[in-house]
Amino acid sequence: MPRTRPHPVAVGAVVLLVAMIAAALWNSDESGTGARQVGAQAAPVLPAAAPGATCAPTVTNPGGRNNYREDAPLDVPLGRGLVITGLVRDTACRPLPGVRVQVWLQTALGSERENRTTVLTDPDGRYRVVSDPVVVQFGEPNVHVAHDVDGSPYASVWQRQVLQADDTLAVVDLVLAPAS
Amino acid sequence: MRLLVGAAAFGGVLLLVLALAAPHLDRASPALLVSTLTACVAVAALAAQPWLTRRRVGAHVRVGGVIAVLVAAHVVALLIESPDDALYSMSLDGPTRARMALFAMVLLAVVTLLGVLRRRLRWSAPTWRFVHGSLAGLVVVLGVGHAILIQGALDGWGTVVLLALGGLGVVGVVVRLVAVLRSGDAMAHDRGRVRPGADEHG
Repeated sequence: MPRTRPHPVAVGAVVLLVAMIAAALWNSDESGTGARQVGAQAAPVLPAAAPGATCAPTVTNPGGRNNYREDAPLDVPLGRGLVITGLVRDTACRPLPGVRVQVWLQTALGSERENRTTVLTDPDGRYRVVSDPVVVQFGEPNVHVAHDVDGSPYASVWQRQVLQADDTLAVVDLVLAPAS
Repeated sequence: MRLLVGAAAFGGVLLLVLALAAPHLDRASPALLVSTLTACVAVAALAAQPWLTRRRVGAHVRVGGVIAVLVAAHVVALLIESPDDALYSMSLDGPTRARMALFAMVLLAVVTLLGVLRRRLRWSAPTWRFVHGSLAGLVVVLGVGHAILIQGALDGWGTVVLLALGGLGVVGVVVRLVAVLRSGDAMAHDRGRVRPGADEHG
């Protein structure tokens, strides 16, 4: 007598699989683990650090090192239309002037591997890169910011954050931990 | 049914035209071009697949093989385009859309293997069809869903066509599954033979 219905085990297995896939999608981050929207119209003003305050060090997020190449040249013009900026501080929340920050992103000018530069933070601990607007790269516009310098007193950190293609400002702050 | 298969093919042509006309691919590398265009054709083929199971499944089997090759080419092209981003997307930390693509890819491999191993598995026809068909439905939902969520060459009208093709595929899976499972007498209505009379009961 041939079976006229699917085996109950097969039905149960498929239902379980659907539930597991739904749970895995529900628990995923829309833009990747640890990636958040950094696009903005105006830079937020961070309050001055109170004495004795501590800032949690920025942690490299997954994908932060994608297409990273060491030692991007200093102050390369990347176009105009998008400002990528941020405040670089130590774990005591003190701004760090003169720290090298590397930025790379895909624009109409080039891919993430080509379109990159290194800048130094100003006396207030801010870095600033002016670039052409970001374009979609692997499904979503994203920008990378890193501090990775040989002999730096601060540990290396890499970031991958997402933004909208029409954003004119992206703010990625860094809190650098002492190099161990 | 020919009408619906034709509609799927037309949708595929629309996707190709929209993708090629999109500014996203203006200065695209050959790898990105290959990955986008193979995906367009694969979506249309997926939408047609359930409707190709009505009579003899020769076309369904051949198109299934084509889809497997297209998706493999799509993934390899992305790995060539940017190994870092491709591997990140396939990791557990990847964005939701990439996780959908990853599941769709694995399920497509399973569905294709189920097709290849159909006779060796010796499952009953309803069991095999239910598993093959329902997992194929998941491939359509996850694969097309990932294409819709992704920003790039198929935004705007591309999204509309993707939704239509995904709908055509999902409706096809449901209609065909209900039809073959309701028919009850699996052996008499087993159209799942590549060559008629080649085996006892598929």
